[in-house]
Amino acid sequence: MKFSDYIELSFSNLWKMKLRTFLTTFGVIIGIGALVSMISFGSGMQKNVTESFKALELFNSITVFPGGYIAAGRDPDEPGQRFERVAHPSSAILDEKVVAEISELKGVETVFPDVNFPAIVRFNGQEEFRLVQVVPARVASSKMIKLQAGKPYLSDDENSVIISNWLLRQLKIKDPSTAIGKKIELSSIAFDFAGFNPLNLASLLQGNKLPLSKENYEFTIVGVKEGMGFGGPSPVQNDLMIPAGAAQKIKKLPFTSVWDIFRAKEGKLGYSALNVRLSSPKYVESVKAKIKEMGFSTFALADQLEQIKTSFIYLDMILAAVGMIAIFVASLGIINTMVMSILERYREIGIMKAVGASDGDVRKIFFFESSSIGFMGGILGFGLGWVVSRLINRIVNYFLARQGVPYIEYFNFPLWLFVGAMLFSVVVSLAAGIYPAHRAAKVDPVIALRHD
Amino acid sequence: MVTSPIVIKTDKLSKVYTSGKIQVVALKDVNLSVVEGKFLAIIGASGSGKSTLLNLLGGLDTPTSGTIQVQGTKISEMNKEALAGYRRYGVGMIFQSFNLLLARTALENVEFPLIFSDVGKKERRRRAEEMLEKVGLTERRSHRPSELSGGEQQRVAIARALINNPHLLLADEPTGNLDSRTSREIVQLLVDLNRNQGLTVIMVSHQEDLAREFSDEVIHLRDGMVRAQDKIK
Repeated sequence: MKFSDYIELSFSNLWKMKLRTFLTTFGVIIGIGALVSMISFGSGMQKNVTESFKALELFNSITVFPGGYIAAGRDPDEPGQRFERVAHPSSAILDEKVVAEISELKGVETVFPDVNFPAIVRFNGQEEFRLVQVVPARVASSKMIKLQAGKPYLSDDENSVIISNWLLRQLKIKDPSTAIGKKIELSSIAFDFAGFNPLNLASLLQGNKLPLSKENYEFTIVGVKEGMGFGGPSPVQNDLMIPAGAAQKIKKLPFTSVWDIFRAKEGKLGYSALNVRLSSPKYVESVKAKIKEMGFSTFALADQLEQIKTSFIYLDMILAAVGMIAIFVASLGIINTMVMSILERYREIGIMKAVGASDGDVRKIFFFESSSIGFMGGILGFGLGWVVSRLINRIVNYFLARQGVPYIEYFNFPLWLFVGAMLFSVVVSLAAGIYPAHRAAKVDPVIALRHD
Repeated sequence: MVTSPIVIKTDKLSKVYTSGKIQVVALKDVNLSVVEGKFLAIIGASGSGKSTLLNLLGGLDTPTSGTIQVQGTKISEMNKEALAGYRRYGVGMIFQSFNLLLARTALENVEFPLIFSDVGKKERRRRAEEMLEKVGLTERRSHRPSELSGGEQQRVAIARALINNPHLLLADEPTGNLDSRTSREIVQLLVDLNRNQGLTVIMVSHQEDLAREFSDEVIHLRDGMVRAQDKIK
């Protein structure tokens, strides 16, 4: 038999039972549609995360902790709790000398200490409490920070601040560009070391005798930072950033954790962490090794890349499993349709055999029919998946945009997904056709021709 | 006188159907020789095994024991694939109930077997039209079986059976669903094909008068066995 005859024969047969063919194909369409949108969602998430990590050059960065601080768990959903810090006695501290030393290493572009201090922000008649991050000018103007409005500060000595659009929204500013050039007030909380006795912790916790002092400073908003949909563990993620020089003038709490307080008392206070930026991810290993020799711990996202990839494979598998259930149900529909078709065409199969069709011919005709259902279902199912995904993407982005989250393409439709969906659909329907085709091939022409 | 070669030869041909624990002997030790170009009729009551014999000769069924030779080839020893080839090229069959494809036109029915012998679409059309002309149905070519009379349907079936130019035509009660006038026309058509083209025809019938009138030879079957073999001419 010629290939074109198989196609013509199977299509004319399917056309004869239009409604049933349509319903069966519709089952496949829904199955493939579900599978395609699920996988495209998984693929979209992965693309978003890895691409935004790449765009932010997160794979080029290493975070350095004082010796004995071990970076353990990492939860991308809660940027504030990136590291589980396990304390060990350690003598090496992260000071300016270390910063200079690391800066000298091959492949290192920038080193800046991770300095945060709590402050009260006053702007537009609103008040918010935030951690202010000290970010050197050279980092502020790097790719790590995406500005929505304004421009980064160029000198470390200006009294400028970069604010996130997220915080602006909370301060009741809708249009970020209107905030540029406005004055903003930061009230820092400074700590009086002399009056602090760690043994009197109980009274401290009760709020008595707090050795704190407040100071007000005025800054100018120069830039509005874009909130990150997939910010992840970026080294620059706070809502407020000020340059290093300006930060030195501020009396502030030089720590963000209780552990820092004890270290400060011992007179060993260094930076709680250093952010190291490399010119390329290929230096990660060598720089990490050198930093470890100095007696510090490191954390590099590049190390987690494999783990991230693995977790995405799991995500994809879970998503695909949902789609697979739909496909499985659809394949039962194909089997049902094809078996029904044998019963209806019993005599026809007998006639085919009587005029010279071999068992193989009959089997192939049925395989062509079931794979035609799969092929049509695959194409239309991919179309359905695409349309539904576009729709969901629009709706989700519409609602998230109102909350200041930038537009994100949640679904990804690479070519392999189309080819894969088509192949999968045809293979599944061929598999569903195995039993019916086998049964059709076995029809005894003598009985079939007597059949009424 | 030159003797024509033997087309069909069966040797101790038997067929036993098993249904559960019951065995039904449909044919028992049938020895048959059919000379090329003859018109042979097989008659007998229903259940005498005539259709079984025809199905075996047509390669639709396989014998329980014994052999069938068609033009020197033992079709009783063929595998399924080879048997399909034999049905395609070696033999044409027509039936009491015509067995046409109801969704297809007369022309499409006639060309249908050519699909399985890898003939291109144009050539199929051409040959099918030629064949329809031979049975006198050119004008009914685009009618479906439901729009044709019984006689016309049987003519379409004959055209279909002969589309691959077999040497042998097997007719299983071809007039069983037809009135007597149409029956005679159909049998006459078979006789014409037999006379003019040297086609060997084996016709199963329960109408003894019709069989005796047109055939060269009549075989009586009873209880799966050959009871009599009469040479008419």
